[in-house]
Amino acid sequence: MHDNRQDAILARQSFIELSARARARALLDAGSFRELIGPFARMTSPWLTAQGIVPQADDGVVIAKGTLDGKATVVAAIEGSFQGGSLGEVAGAKIAGALELAAEDCRQGRLTQAVILFETGGVRLQEANLGLAAIAEIHSAIVDLRQYAPVVGIVAGTVGCFGGMSIAAGLCSYLMVTREARLGLNGPQVIEQEAGVEEYDSRDRPLIWGFTGGEQRYETGFADAFIADDVADVQTQLGALFARGVPARHRSDRHGDFLARLARVDISRQADSAMVRALFTKGEQA
Amino acid sequence: MQVHQDQPNPWARRRSEKARRKALLGSLADGCVLPTDKLRSALETLIASGDRVALEGNNQKQADFLSRTLAQVDPGKVNNLHMIMPSVGRSEHLDLFERGIARKLDFSFAGPQSLRIAQLLEDGRLEIGAIHTYIELYARMFVDLTPNIALVAGFKADRDGNLYTGPSTEDTPAIVEATAFRDGIVIAQVNEIVDDPKDLPRVDIPGSWVDYIVQADRPFFMEPLFTRDPRLIKPVHVLMGMMAIRGIYERHQVQSLNHGIGFNTAAIELLLPTYAASLGLKGKICKHWALNPHPTLIPAIESGWVESVHSFGGEMGMENYIAARPDVFFNGPDGSMRSNRAFCQLAGQYAVDMFIGSTLQIDGDGHSSTVTRGRLAGFGGAPNMGHDPRGRRHATPAWLDMLQTDSPLERGKKLVVQMVETFQAGGKPTFVETLDAVQVAKDSGMPLAPVMIYGDDVTHVLSEEGIAYLYKARSLDERRAMLAAVAGVTPIGMRRDEALTESMRKQGLIATPEDLGIRRTDATRSLLAARSVADLVEWSDGLYNPPPRFRSW
Repeated sequence: MHDNRQDAILARQSFIELSARARARALLDAGSFRELIGPFARMTSPWLTAQGIVPQADDGVVIAKGTLDGKATVVAAIEGSFQGGSLGEVAGAKIAGALELAAEDCRQGRLTQAVILFETGGVRLQEANLGLAAIAEIHSAIVDLRQYAPVVGIVAGTVGCFGGMSIAAGLCSYLMVTREARLGLNGPQVIEQEAGVEEYDSRDRPLIWGFTGGEQRYETGFADAFIADDVADVQTQLGALFARGVPARHRSDRHGDFLARLARVDISRQADSAMVRALFTKGEQA
Repeated sequence: MQVHQDQPNPWARRRSEKARRKALLGSLADGCVLPTDKLRSALETLIASGDRVALEGNNQKQADFLSRTLAQVDPGKVNNLHMIMPSVGRSEHLDLFERGIARKLDFSFAGPQSLRIAQLLEDGRLEIGAIHTYIELYARMFVDLTPNIALVAGFKADRDGNLYTGPSTEDTPAIVEATAFRDGIVIAQVNEIVDDPKDLPRVDIPGSWVDYIVQADRPFFMEPLFTRDPRLIKPVHVLMGMMAIRGIYERHQVQSLNHGIGFNTAAIELLLPTYAASLGLKGKICKHWALNPHPTLIPAIESGWVESVHSFGGEMGMENYIAARPDVFFNGPDGSMRSNRAFCQLAGQYAVDMFIGSTLQIDGDGHSSTVTRGRLAGFGGAPNMGHDPRGRRHATPAWLDMLQTDSPLERGKKLVVQMVETFQAGGKPTFVETLDAVQVAKDSGMPLAPVMIYGDDVTHVLSEEGIAYLYKARSLDERRAMLAAVAGVTPIGMRRDEALTESMRKQGLIATPEDLGIRRTDATRSLLAARSVADLVEWSDGLYNPPPRFRSW
């Protein structure tokens, strides 16, 4: 029996298991966590009750201010267990507003970096265009802030990151993923519905993860760090990414390279995980 | 008495009938091998109308090539069959009745087909002999339900009919024995026929008991029925698991046991290396198991809690792990597991200290049932485990701990524990005035309500509210009051008298989490030794290979 391995498993603190609030707290320096627009501010969705859905006092998003390795940091954490982490008017505005204020602080000389914890299916369908508008504001705010300080996205799981928020993840300065994470524009069921089950069987979990899973996204260069489901590892790797500073060129500025690669895809044959890896790892990516 | 050569021996009619049918088959069979594409006509030749046919439908292993083909025979040639089936799990099992090939059914469990059985019964297409528990059905195959035909499944066979059933031996030995030794015809489907007998990993069923083998058109269907994803264990399951360990396992020194399948018991398995270890219970409880190879037991096995596990059947993905732990599991010399449902059910009935499991409904007297309206789900094995076998004579600390008097003539008792949340998903109360089973019995003309576990066999009921130590009840009224005290705000729980509840707490008849020294806020998922399937793989050192549907990577 391998007691060291067992002790390590038992000692490990899972990051995926943590709620959005506990995740934000775990990432900030001890004692520095301060929640903004917390549940007692009663800033909640005005739309859900009318549709027979019980709202949540923080609308599923936790905004926290604090320090990380001593540097001013704002964390926006999406709670995957509330409405699948979907973003509506209030939840979206909380994230966009926090990022906009951080950018404003940067311009005032108070450098503030940001972490976004993506655990979201994208827009909250019950709030339709208001949610979409909020997500667009989040996109702009990331692009604004990232010129001053790194914006690091983390996709831990179990929900993953889909829809408009996958674009937000793509706009981040750096992205961290676990093996359990998934990142994609359309969710598996949507693709199956549109393209047919022969093309994409949403219940074939190894297939799904083979395209959108954390390991595949990391190996194909769409994520910058591959993290264990371990709070200590998340902290360490997050610190290392912030230490890199603002990247010289953001991933989203490399659209020309990505488009050229996509143009080379042979659509006459069924894509698989290995083919995607070959497509995105061959040749320079700078 | 003179016996003429041309007259059949009147004492061996079954034997001569078997010989007659086998002769009719003529050159269709190559030795004992039936050609895959001629199976239908072979079945039409070997099976006669009115035969009793034992069809191996297990929990995990399905003789599905045989059942699909049987469902295609000409009902003009073969009809009025009397099916004897441990588990009715596949749609073609009921196509047999819809097509008029079969008429009567004796079975044990009907999980996914339970709704359709009820409909066919109502439509008069199907007649039920009885619904049994597993051992009860096997037992009747040796008394008044001896099969004329057995249709079973294995992994491999050689050309002499020697069968390798693999880790999922399950019901095969019981069905084959009952059939082969009273001149029935045994037909086995296998995934592979090997030319060299040495290519069989081992022989689970000797070839001389088997009349025919046929290579299946595709490998038999299997399902990972006993895998529970730790991710879906809720804090309330952790709380109830802690209560079970503290208030039952530790208190009564439960050393041998069966766990029903569910998130409650999965939580207990995952609390052994953490919470139970912190109580110093390692080596004192949970040493011997009659249990399917639950992946959630891996951490307890790896951390040295478990001395032995005997299994009813196999579980997909556990094969390599089990093969690498022969001290714990019952493995053949080839390395793979040998399960046996009949023996494991007997072990769970006679040789364990405790059965603990969940149910859908409990009434005020403690009777429980998983039958809900419109469904005939059957019993499976839970009642075999979930009762006190009065033929037991050996004593263990837990069994003796149930004694209530000093009389030298009082017998001990198996612990039968029902572990339930007071409400099911969808807000349905678990504790009810009347079991749905009562109405189901009336609707389907059954002589008795299909009760899974009778109240007088239940020694403990555990809910998130507390534990009722029912074996201590001195009267039926006291028993009802104890049950009501842990039934929350269900109709039964609303009958609770607060003063009486307090007095029963003081007397130790019931216990709340607080009485057991458990703080509800301590019951978090962080106590689980594994919180995901990936954690289980890591605990197994990569030996556990979870089926795709349980992977999140």
